[in-house]
Amino acid sequence: MAEAAGDRPAGERPATAGGPGRVLVAVYGVFALAAGARAAVQLSTRFAEAPVAYLLSALAAVVYVVATVALARGGRRTALVAISVELVGVLVVGTLSVLDPAAFPDETVWSAYGRGYLFIPLVLPVLGLLFLRRRARR
Amino acid sequence: MTPVLVVAVTVTAALLALAGIASTLAGRRIGLLHLWGAALLEVVLLVQAVLAVVLLVRGDRPADTPTFLGYLAGIVLLPVAGALWARSEPTRWAGTVLAVAAGAVGVMVWRLQQLWEATGG
Repeated sequence: MAEAAGDRPAGERPATAGGPGRVLVAVYGVFALAAGARAAVQLSTRFAEAPVAYLLSALAAVVYVVATVALARGGRRTALVAISVELVGVLVVGTLSVLDPAAFPDETVWSAYGRGYLFIPLVLPVLGLLFLRRRARR
Repeated sequence: MTPVLVVAVTVTAALLALAGIASTLAGRRIGLLHLWGAALLEVVLLVQAVLAVVLLVRGDRPADTPTFLGYLAGIVLLPVAGALWARSEPTRWAGTVLAVAAGAVGVMVWRLQQLWEATGG
């Protein structure tokens, strides 16, 4: 994916796409895949059952995809926005799903702060923001 | 979906993850061993996918077939994507990238098994 950044001089890699950043991109990629597949299945097979929950599921998927691509290509500001939305999303959806489980009949990636995914969805945006801040300082 | 294949996938994925973490800890790039490991994992996953599709065509249906198919398609992408993303990384972190992909495969294969066992009426 890094090769796709054609607007950059050859040999120069985006700071977010090398070293530990690449691990972060890998984890984000896995979540983009997981959330995307889940949202696609939910929206295409049983959208009417819980439209709000499934739209939030789709939003989560979009956020993960944007964050993955932005981190991989070095789009720092886009990554910052996507990861911030992700953090707010996991906190809001997590809280709502705990307070009102009836509104979330089916698990989403962010339900109960990402319990179904070992709470990685809760930890990931924090790591992402710390990583972006550390990169910015250098 | 047979337990034998699920265990084979889990063991291969676990070994690949360990090899990846080991190369990061040793401060080395990934080597041929890692790529062969990823290739082996991919082969076992493809065998599993073909078997699952054969069983589906024969009429065995898990209760949540769309989700099952989603996982089945997603899991075969992981070793390939992980290997490609790790191969172009010149530092020791390449191993961790591969370990992330292998770990995800190890988790997803058990979710697949769970979905398969929940057969619909």
